[in-house]
Amino acid sequence: MPHPLLSVEDVSKTYDGFKAITNLNFYLYEGELRTVIGPNGAGKSTFFDLITGRAKPDTGKLDFGTDPLTSQDLTRLNEFEINRLGIGRKFQTPSVYTEHSVWDNLVLSLKGPRGVFASLFHRLSSTDRDRLDAILRTVRLDAKRSWKAGLLAHGEKQWLEIGMLLAQDPKVLLVDEPAAGMTDDETDRTGELLLSLAGKHSLIVIEHDMAFVKQIARNGEVTVLHQGTVLCEGKFDEVQSNPKVREVYLGRGKHGTR
Amino acid sequence: MSSSGSSPAVRRLELIVVAVVAVLLIVVLPLLNAQGLISNFTLSLWGKYLCYALLAISVDLLWGYTGLLSLGQALFFTLGGYMHGMYLMRMIGELGQYKKPIPDFLVFLGWERLPAFWEPFSSFPFALAMVFLVPGLLAYVFGFLAFRSRIKGVYFSILTQALTYAASIMFFRNNLLLGGNNGFTDFKFILGHSLADPATSRALYIASAVTLLLAYLFCRWLSRTKFGLVQQAIRDGENRVLFSGYATMHFKLFIFVVAALIAAVGGALYTPQVGIINPGEMQADKSLEAVVWVAVGGRGTLLGPILGAISINALKSWATRAYPDLWLIILGGLFILVVLFLPGGLVSIPARLKALWKKLRREPEPPPASSTQPAQPVSAKS
Amino acid sequence: MNFLARLIRWLLPLLLAAGTAARAADTPREVIARAALAEDSATQRQLIGSLMGRGDDAIAPLFEAWRTDQLFIYAAPDGTKVPVQLTGPKDEAGTQAALRIDTGAALTGPSGPLRLNAADLTAVEHTAALRRAMKAVLDLADLAAPDPAKRVLAIQTIGLTQDVEKLPALQARTPLETDARAKAVLREAVALIQLKDEKNETRIAALTALKELHSLSTSDAIKRTLKEAEEARNLPVAAAAREALRAVENHRSFVDFFGTLFRGISLGSILLVAALGLAITFGLMRVINMAHGEMIAVGAYTTYLVQNIFGTGITIPFFGFSLGIPGLNFSGGVYQSYFLAALPCSFIAAALVGIGLERSVIRFLYRRPLESLLATWGVSLVLQQCFRLMFGANNVQVSSPVYLSGNWTVNDIIFGWNRVFVVGFAILIVFGMWLVLTKTSLGLLIRASMQNRTMASCMGVRTERVNMLTFGLGSGLAGLAGAFLSQIGNVGPSLGQGYIIDSFMVVVVGGVGSIGGTILSAFGIGGIDQVLQQYLPVIAPGLGWVPGIGGFLQNLAQDAAVFGKILVLAGIILFLQWRPAGLFVTRSRSLED
Repeated sequence: MPHPLLSVEDVSKTYDGFKAITNLNFYLYEGELRTVIGPNGAGKSTFFDLITGRAKPDTGKLDFGTDPLTSQDLTRLNEFEINRLGIGRKFQTPSVYTEHSVWDNLVLSLKGPRGVFASLFHRLSSTDRDRLDAILRTVRLDAKRSWKAGLLAHGEKQWLEIGMLLAQDPKVLLVDEPAAGMTDDETDRTGELLLSLAGKHSLIVIEHDMAFVKQIARNGEVTVLHQGTVLCEGKFDEVQSNPKVREVYLGRGKHGTR
Repeated sequence: MSSSGSSPAVRRLELIVVAVVAVLLIVVLPLLNAQGLISNFTLSLWGKYLCYALLAISVDLLWGYTGLLSLGQALFFTLGGYMHGMYLMRMIGELGQYKKPIPDFLVFLGWERLPAFWEPFSSFPFALAMVFLVPGLLAYVFGFLAFRSRIKGVYFSILTQALTYAASIMFFRNNLLLGGNNGFTDFKFILGHSLADPATSRALYIASAVTLLLAYLFCRWLSRTKFGLVQQAIRDGENRVLFSGYATMHFKLFIFVVAALIAAVGGALYTPQVGIINPGEMQADKSLEAVVWVAVGGRGTLLGPILGAISINALKSWATRAYPDLWLIILGGLFILVVLFLPGGLVSIPARLKALWKKLRREPEPPPASSTQPAQPVSAKS
Repeated sequence: MNFLARLIRWLLPLLLAAGTAARAADTPREVIARAALAEDSATQRQLIGSLMGRGDDAIAPLFEAWRTDQLFIYAAPDGTKVPVQLTGPKDEAGTQAALRIDTGAALTGPSGPLRLNAADLTAVEHTAALRRAMKAVLDLADLAAPDPAKRVLAIQTIGLTQDVEKLPALQARTPLETDARAKAVLREAVALIQLKDEKNETRIAALTALKELHSLSTSDAIKRTLKEAEEARNLPVAAAAREALRAVENHRSFVDFFGTLFRGISLGSILLVAALGLAITFGLMRVINMAHGEMIAVGAYTTYLVQNIFGTGITIPFFGFSLGIPGLNFSGGVYQSYFLAALPCSFIAAALVGIGLERSVIRFLYRRPLESLLATWGVSLVLQQCFRLMFGANNVQVSSPVYLSGNWTVNDIIFGWNRVFVVGFAILIVFGMWLVLTKTSLGLLIRASMQNRTMASCMGVRTERVNMLTFGLGSGLAGLAGAFLSQIGNVGPSLGQGYIIDSFMVVVVGGVGSIGGTILSAFGIGGIDQVLQQYLPVIAPGLGWVPGIGGFLQNLAQDAAVFGKILVLAGIILFLQWRPAGLFVTRSRSLED
């Protein structure tokens, strides 16, 4: 068995007495596409917060890297250091640079040195431009490249943020509810895109839309979070037929909306 | 507001305007003065305005471009002024009231010899280095502490104000050996030239105008680099920038120090032209006044602060003479009105008029990439 | 002189014993009368000297009369001699009413009150020695003044001069003294003078007494004694002096400590009262009100107005108009109570100005904190200038009511009434605010809207109104603070500027949104500031070692008030490294917050 790329062990986090995450164990292997589902308040977003350094766990370990010798303890790093290791995140509510053009949003996300002086004398190479053009076509924002990102529709912002993630080319993509605000057609396309990324990249996708989950969890596993801990893990069908999962979901309705 | 979003035509127009104004200020005005068509008083008044414009640019670089409202820029301005002032004080030599080789106020405080830290200021290069070093170092240390603990928004503003306040009460004390209340004045010479000579003031004026032009060009360049993109991204959503892998602290620290240096140069040029520098210049109010210039001119642009600094100070020169009692009410009122009704400042007026004109003619809105007004675009869903 | 002094010292107890024992009931008047009649000047001096330490208002005028030849001997027709004083207007014959010296009553002959002519009488003589004796008595007259405070002062003055000649008088006074404080002071003064004694036992006994009394004012005298003793290699005295000095210094550090503590608490209360309003507007509403200081000034000026209305009225010029406000011309106790009336007035005035400000400017800027900072700074400029136009650029005079002036000294620690009042007031305000926030429906609405404005408005809370009232409450508290700061500092147009930065610091350090944090940080900052002010001058001389800027630091640290303030600000910045969100953190889960 290979060493996991990301291992989360015994992690707990409380906010003012509220247990958001309790003794969570989670392993992600290279090239995997993992879908995380769970009812509202299950701690899904907090889980991402912990990985990306936005929140620090009270207890537990978060290790990143396939080689145990060089793996990094994420709890010791802050947001930008974690990002530089190759963990990119798409937020639940689309968060793009609203005052920048679509193109500049991508330029900011483009993989490359992130230092002050590097950015002072940074020039886009022609390969960079070609890559960004390709991404723009993928996310179908080619025609709006000079628009201010703040003026895009909700679904377009989702696409732009996915594009930013692609430009960054991280090892692990954390994708929080990518299909929200998209049409069925777009949702389908998003799913295909995510599936095509798996293999070269590792992905964790949080999603509520079961049809979408069914689509993207074709090959990978599904993790169900409940009350801050893993309720069960397995193939989509197994999970769907799991009585505990049914209880949790039936008790609360199938589609949670935030 | 992001200049990266401005259309090329607007940017070209801006460059033409700048070139014309620069020629006017750097060449024409001094020539007219040399011919006696513009009085020395007017020229030195303009010199003062240009120094203030440098201060305004430094405020704008932080506030307009990075979202850091610093209420301490006047401190860096004044520190620059003091460092240069120390050199100018040394150049008085024995021509002071007490005819002693040390500055008058030291004689007054009972000093016989020059305090050690004054010694090297007899050298212009040293003083010049200090003009950059002292404010730069202070900005670095303060910025490091503030940004490291992620102090931002209004907290940052309040802390910078506290810093200025602390510095000003310190500079007001005689024990600091920097002239106390009265600061430095009665300068006589700079680099061997008499400050009373109109040619010297003309040279200082030209130096200020050229410095302002350079600062403008530098900021313009900066705003178009990737650094500028990050900077403006920090303004709009700092946390998102962190999650894009940028150490925002370093970016903010860099720009904070750069802004302090620009302000300091402004102060260093201000001192010989105005002939006095005292702690009154670094009080919290002065920093806020500089913020008014930027707000009125138009923040997040480069011409705005320059325009604001010159127009408000011209207004001040006039109003403090015509309506001395009402000046503060005018200034305060103006500020309230601009904040409430004209957030884009003076420079946004043409665009606003154009938008109004278009509305009147019921023209459809173009894809508003350069507009400052967020309008609802046509939905991409179809 | 020395001889004389010693003679008197030696003689006096004897004489006193003889004289006073025999005629203990003699009033000073009777003594003076007998002295006037005495044949030889030695007896005269002795009698005059016996008055030493007797507090009687008659003595000084009689001596004065004697010295200026206004004391006469009237030889009655029966041959008795009566010393008299002539008073009242002269009539045509040049005669005046005569008063008996021994009783102070009118001199009567067989046919009623006698009128005498000064020219017919012989003035009582006086020698230089006699005049000296009289002066010595007069010098010590205050020792017996009816007012204990006056006595204490007189005794202390004598003690500090360590004048050996005055020792007998003090000793004579000792058994007569009844006031406890004066008794202690007497003991101290006697001991101080005895330090000059030649006998070791006396000096050691004196030092032991001083050690027990450990009064701060004796430290210089003890130090001198210690130095003399050391120079003279007088080991027992030196040891005793050292011990006495230690006791005094211990007491001094005790007094300093508690004095500093009290000043820290009172400064903390001032900061707290000034910052409480801000804790509401900034802490709960997240509005940066740079005009908060001017709200404080509104309160202070309202107090000034109320004072004038209770008094003689006031005329306020404003933009060429002038508004005359008639006064109620109260005086005495009613006038003194103006301050009680000023408290609610200043609350209401500032609250109204605050509500006006909220309605006209701030409500448009709730989502833009930096803009609200700037706009309210504009408001603060306008308000400051309005104060200047209405009340003048100089400070106005707000008098403290009698019940707020004066001190209360316990164990050498001085508690100013106004400071004690500040502390009490702060406690009251905090309690009142706690009541409003937790026990009233307005408080509930405030807390609900501040936690989640959108949610509250969804639940039917009229957030607009709540915002307005909350801002009014915060501003009103600032106004109250102003009323009260008018009792402590100057009231001028820039009054508010002096408090605004401190207030913001208090709220930031406490943790924005936490009233408890505000209280804690106000007292923390106040305490640290006072400690620095107390001890910086002590530390200052020790800063010379710092390379390069040692002398400069020594200099600077002498400016304890300013340097202390700077250190406090620097400390705050460092504190925020440790706790960026202040003492008490209120969390949020939104990305940009």
